[in-house]
Amino acid sequence: MVKNPAASATGAQKLTRVQKFFKDCRLQHQLILMVIPGIVLVFIFNYIPMYGALMAFQEYSPTKGIWGSEWVGLKYFAMFFQSPYSGRLIKNTLLLGIYNLLWSFPAPIILALFLDQLPFMRYKKFVQTVSYFPHFISAVVIVGMVKEFCAIDGVFNAIRVMLGGEAVSFMTGPQYFRTIFIASGIWQGIGWGTIIYLAALSNVDPQLHEAATIDGASRFQRVRYITWPTIVPTTSIMLIFAVSGILGSDYQKVLLMYSEATYETADIIGTYVYREGIEGGRYEYTTAIGLMMNLVSCVLLVIANQISRTLSENSLW
Amino acid sequence: MKIKKTKGEQVFDVFNVILMAIVAAVMILPMLHVLSVSLSEGSESIKGGFFFYPHGFNLKGYETVFKDPLLIRSYGNTILYVIGNTVLTLFFTALTAYPLSIPGFRLKIPVTVFLTITMFISGGTIPTYMLMRNMGLINSVWVMMLPFCVGAYNVILFRTFFTGIPAALREAAIIDGASEVTVLFRIIFPLSKAIFATIGLFTLVAKWNDWFSALIYLNRETMYPLQMILRKILFNTDQAMKNLDPVTRQMFSGNEVTAQNVKMAAIIITTLPILCVYPFIQKYFVKGVFVGTIKG
Repeated sequence: MVKNPAASATGAQKLTRVQKFFKDCRLQHQLILMVIPGIVLVFIFNYIPMYGALMAFQEYSPTKGIWGSEWVGLKYFAMFFQSPYSGRLIKNTLLLGIYNLLWSFPAPIILALFLDQLPFMRYKKFVQTVSYFPHFISAVVIVGMVKEFCAIDGVFNAIRVMLGGEAVSFMTGPQYFRTIFIASGIWQGIGWGTIIYLAALSNVDPQLHEAATIDGASRFQRVRYITWPTIVPTTSIMLIFAVSGILGSDYQKVLLMYSEATYETADIIGTYVYREGIEGGRYEYTTAIGLMMNLVSCVLLVIANQISRTLSENSLW
Repeated sequence: MKIKKTKGEQVFDVFNVILMAIVAAVMILPMLHVLSVSLSEGSESIKGGFFFYPHGFNLKGYETVFKDPLLIRSYGNTILYVIGNTVLTLFFTALTAYPLSIPGFRLKIPVTVFLTITMFISGGTIPTYMLMRNMGLINSVWVMMLPFCVGAYNVILFRTFFTGIPAALREAAIIDGASEVTVLFRIIFPLSKAIFATIGLFTLVAKWNDWFSALIYLNRETMYPLQMILRKILFNTDQAMKNLDPVTRQMFSGNEVTAQNVKMAAIIITTLPILCVYPFIQKYFVKGVFVGTIKG
């Protein structure tokens, strides 16, 4: 460390880095007091459950707590893979996540590109405003409406009958579950999803388009070579998050939407954890499952980030 | 300068305008249907198909819903939870974010890291549930207001906004002898109405729509928020009625009010408050405040 000659010259105390840190902290005690409530709240509600997750490796006894309970290693992890349901759960979770990614991820990008091409500003604003609205409707209402529309005498069946088909019970058919779940998700999220892409698009210099047009570029070429490159970085970042979220399908919505009749395709790990854990009281077992999910999601995030960095130089870190 | 569009481009414009009109219609029509059914005559409401307008006119559905004492109570509960949660969120988040926006703050990096970790790692549903149980928060109003009111994401949004306020304002006040608390409440907060409104409205809507925390943390019906009662009305009542075949159901059609009326009316009165705050939220993303904070 370089000594500060000025400090010794004036006779001031020579401070080590640690002493200086504490001196600054004393000076900033008001600021420190301000962050303390937030730190405490985050510590209690976010960090204590992380510690609590250790019970996945224990025969947990509430009286002894995490500290005193007996460690059983990976017993509960093994139990999940030996369970007759694990295959179906993993398959359902993955398929729902992957299909959801394939359909729900591109949807807002496509809508944003179309919105961007609209010739009238006010009309564009109107469509945007209307398309944002479903985002603010509660999951209970969404699923309530889905059940209304998919009922035997609902709108979709009315259309089917009109086209000469037969009315089908959509909500109890396992083969329809994923389609209904993903389609309603797109209806709710597509408009809201465009915000971030439209924000990126608003940064395009209109002169670029004018110059390209004068040079004879068609509209498609301008979209391909001007518009698209401006949203690629945003798209990459969003894709990284979307890929790491494959296992994290909205199980609360599934909980509202599924029934025993559709477990075959609808029962995912999140809903299973809820049923076995909170309703069934198998805490260690379901904590172990949750922990695995968390771990896999983190791994997916790292992998997606790495791939994106190699291919497009866009990454989170 | 104006460049003339080719024929193909004009065709595309027409196609695009029509396509977007369809998109807008798809967004609006489901709510229109719900509203129309809720106002239709009982005998009409169960006929099925799409309702572009109310068939006949009937407010009995709303009357029935408002006669349900549990629902009125849940409305009150939700308002309490929403206000409590929003106030706590705004206060503690802003308080945490302010020091992080000051360049020389010594704990800036450790606190930021401490918060950011929670964006990637969580204990999971069950350990969180166990924590609430151990803290005696089951069936407490606090469980609906306090947990997770400080979140890393909101802190970042607040901090980004505060960083945009000229540092000279704070420095001048400090030199004049003001304490950090005075600076925060007298200078920073009055300049930050936009971010308070934005985060406040989003927190409010999220809490209004929240049903899952009530499902796991509350088991007294009298404490249930609106969404839980709505869930009961939509999914549980008249399950038997729903399963009847259309012919048998015709026999019930003499009734003035049907389950259908009641359900759709319940959806409308639950969603109406959101519709009312929507223009205000809208104002903020039109202004770009929300987008700006996201990008930051």
